[in-house]
Amino acid sequence: MEINKLERYWLIAVGITLGAFVAATIVAVTVFGIRLPAPVERIDPQRLDQTIFAKPGVRKIADNRYEAVIVAKSWAFDAGPEAGTPAVLRFPRGSQVTFYVTSKDVMHGFQIEKHTLNLELVPGQVARASTTFNRPGTYHIICNHYCGAGHQVMYGVIIVE
Amino acid sequence: MASVTLPQTFEAPATPTTLRLARREQLMIGAHIIAALIALMFGIFMGPFQTFHRSPTFVQYFPTIPIFTFYYQAVTAHGVMNALFFTTFFIIGFSYFVTERTLQRPIKSAAMGWAAFVAMAVGLGMMLFVLLTMPQQSAVLYTFYPPTIAPAMFYIGLVLLALGSWLASANIFLTYRDWKREHPNERVPLAVFALIVNFIVWCVATIGVAIEIVFMLLPASLGILKVTDPQLARTLFWFFGHPLVYFWLLPAYVSWYTMLPRQAGGKLFSEPLARVAFIMFVVFSVPVGVHHQFSDPGISASSKGVQTLLTLIVSIPSFMTAFNVGAALENAARNRGAKTLFDWPFKQKWNDPVVAAQLSGMLLFIAGGFSGLINASAQLNATIHNTSWVPAHFHQTLGGAVTLTYIGILYWLLPAIRGRALFSKKMALAQVFTWLIGMTLFGLAMGEAGLQGVPRRALTSQSPYLSPAGAFWLDVTAVSGIILLISSILLYANIIGTLFFSRRPMPEGEVPIETVSGDRTSPLWFERWGIWLGLLGILLLIAYGPVIAEVLDFQLGWNILRYMPTSNAPMP
Repeated sequence: MEINKLERYWLIAVGITLGAFVAATIVAVTVFGIRLPAPVERIDPQRLDQTIFAKPGVRKIADNRYEAVIVAKSWAFDAGPEAGTPAVLRFPRGSQVTFYVTSKDVMHGFQIEKHTLNLELVPGQVARASTTFNRPGTYHIICNHYCGAGHQVMYGVIIVE
Repeated sequence: MASVTLPQTFEAPATPTTLRLARREQLMIGAHIIAALIALMFGIFMGPFQTFHRSPTFVQYFPTIPIFTFYYQAVTAHGVMNALFFTTFFIIGFSYFVTERTLQRPIKSAAMGWAAFVAMAVGLGMMLFVLLTMPQQSAVLYTFYPPTIAPAMFYIGLVLLALGSWLASANIFLTYRDWKREHPNERVPLAVFALIVNFIVWCVATIGVAIEIVFMLLPASLGILKVTDPQLARTLFWFFGHPLVYFWLLPAYVSWYTMLPRQAGGKLFSEPLARVAFIMFVVFSVPVGVHHQFSDPGISASSKGVQTLLTLIVSIPSFMTAFNVGAALENAARNRGAKTLFDWPFKQKWNDPVVAAQLSGMLLFIAGGFSGLINASAQLNATIHNTSWVPAHFHQTLGGAVTLTYIGILYWLLPAIRGRALFSKKMALAQVFTWLIGMTLFGLAMGEAGLQGVPRRALTSQSPYLSPAGAFWLDVTAVSGIILLISSILLYANIIGTLFFSRRPMPEGEVPIETVSGDRTSPLWFERWGIWLGLLGILLLIAYGPVIAEVLDFQLGWNILRYMPTSNAPMP
C-alpha cells in the first residue's frame, strides 16, 4: 500500500494543525492557568442544610478575595437573603472570586457572561471555579442547562464596581 | 470476480446495478425510508418554529406562534425525531440497499429485518404518542438527563429503537460473514467495509445508553427507583452521544467515497487510504464522549485532557476524507474541462440535485469541522459550552453535511423505491440551495449569539438577561429559520409529489455502486475486525476506566464503590 506524495504532505499539515491545538491547550493550562472543573466533593442534595450550602452567600476571605456559595434550584440562584431574588452579587474591581455551586433539584448550568466560567451543576456534586473580575460592569449569571418550564428566566447578576 | 451463485430466495434485479428495485427490496428498503421521512417530518418543521420562538422581535410581532406552543416540547421533538429516529431508520434502510447491491446477495434474514423494522416502528409510534399527548412531562430533550424523568413510554420507545437497530446490525454482520466465507481472499468493496465500521461503532456506543436507560431511567420512570446519580447518567449518555454523530456521518461518507465520484464524473483518489480512515473511526470514535463533559464537576481534569487529545485524533480521518474526496472531485472537474488551480470547485455538476446536495453538505462541513475543533479544545469550550454556539456547530455537521447528503441520496433512492421519476428537479435544486443559504446563516447567527452568551435550548425571547447583541443575532437566526422553513416545505412537496403525483416513469439508470473492490494493494488483515476491536477495548480502558472510577467515586479499601447508580439525587 502506498501513500501519494501530495496526500503525505496533507497529512503532515494536518499533524501540524492538531499539534498546534494540543500546544495551545497545554499553554492555556500552564501559562494562563485556565483549569477545568474537577471533583471537589460529593454531597446529598436532600441534606444541603448539613453542608456549606446551608447558608449561601458571599464571604470575604482576604484582600480582594471572596468565596461565593450558591445553591441553584428551579428556577433561581440562591446566594442568601442579602442577595435577593434574582440574586445580585457585588464585588469591587479586581476581586478574585471562588464560586462553590451545587444544585438542589435537577441539572442546572452556571455561566458568567464574558468570563471563562461555565459550570454544569450536577445534583450530588459540588462545582468549584474561580475567576477575577477586572472590568467594572454588570454581568449576568445564566443558567445554560435546560431545567424545566422556567429555565429561560433563571439568572443572577454580578455587579463589578 | 468469482461468479456468485445467488440463493434461490433472492429475486435478483434484471442487471445487478440497475436502479430498478425488486419487489422485495422495494418493500423492505421503502418501509425504512418512509418511516424515516415520517420521523423527519415531525422533527424538521419544529426547527424553524424554535428560531421564531427564540427571537424577541419575532415574538413581539407574532405573539402566537403555531405548532407546539410549548417551546421545550418542540425542542424535544426536534431532537428525538431528527437525531434518533430519522437517522436510524434512514441509515438502516440505506445500509440494506448498499449491502445487497454491493455484495449482490440479499440480507441474511428477511424475517429478522422485518422484526427489527416492526420494533423500531412501534418505538416510533410510542415516542410520537408520548411527545404529542404529554408535552410537559415528555419535554426532557433528546439528551434526557435525570433527575428530570419522562413517562416510561418515552424510554420504552427508545429501547425498541435500539433493539431493532441491533437486530439490523446483526443482519448486516451476518450477510458480510457469508460473503466473506465465499470470498476469503478478496477485499470487501469499500462501501460495505465502511458500513461494517459504522455498525461496530453503533453497537459499542449504544451499550452506554442502554445501561443508562434500562438500569437507571426506566426504573425511575416506573417508580421502582426513587433516587439517581445524574453524573453517572451523563457519563453513560455521552459514551453513546458522541459516537452517535459518527453513526450519522459514516453513511454520508459511504456516499461521498463510493458513489459521489461516479455521480460527479470522476474516480476516487485512494481506496486503501479510505480504508485506513474508516479503521481509525472504529478505534477512535468511541473514547471521546467526555469532551461533552468538560464543565462537569465529577470528572478529573486529567481524564478530560486525555479525551481532548483523542478527540483531536478522531478529526484525522475526516481530514483524510477531505483530501481523498476533494481529489476525486477535482478529477471529475478535470474530466469536465477544468484547467486552472481554482476552477475545479465551480466545474461541478451544480445543476444535478444529487451532486449539489452533497457538495453543499461538504461546504457546511468545513465550517462544522473547524467549529468542532474549537469545541474540542478544553479551554475554548468554557466560553461556548451550552451556548447557542453548540447547536450552530452541530447544525453545520448534522444539519449540513449529514442531512444534505441524506437528501442527496433520497433524490435518487426515493424515485427508485416509488418507480417513478423525481417530481421536480428544479424544486430539488431550489431546496438544496435554500438549505445551504439558510444553514450557513443559521450557523453564523447562532454562533455569534453563543459568543454573546446566549444559552442553547432556552426560550430566550422571555429571558430577562438577554443582551442587545444576543437579541440581534437571535433575530437573524429567525430569518435563517424562514429560509429553512421554505426549504423544508420544498423538500416535502417534492417527496409527496414523487410518491403520489409523479406520472413520468423512472429514468433507466444505474446505482453508482461498485460490486468489486478496486483496491488491490491494501492488506487483507484490514478486515480482521478483532484487531480493531481489541485496540478499541484498550483505548476504552485508558480513556474511560478512570472516568468511571471518578464518577463512582471508586476508592480502594472496604468500600470499593462508594456511590452506586442509586445514589442520592431525588426525582423531582
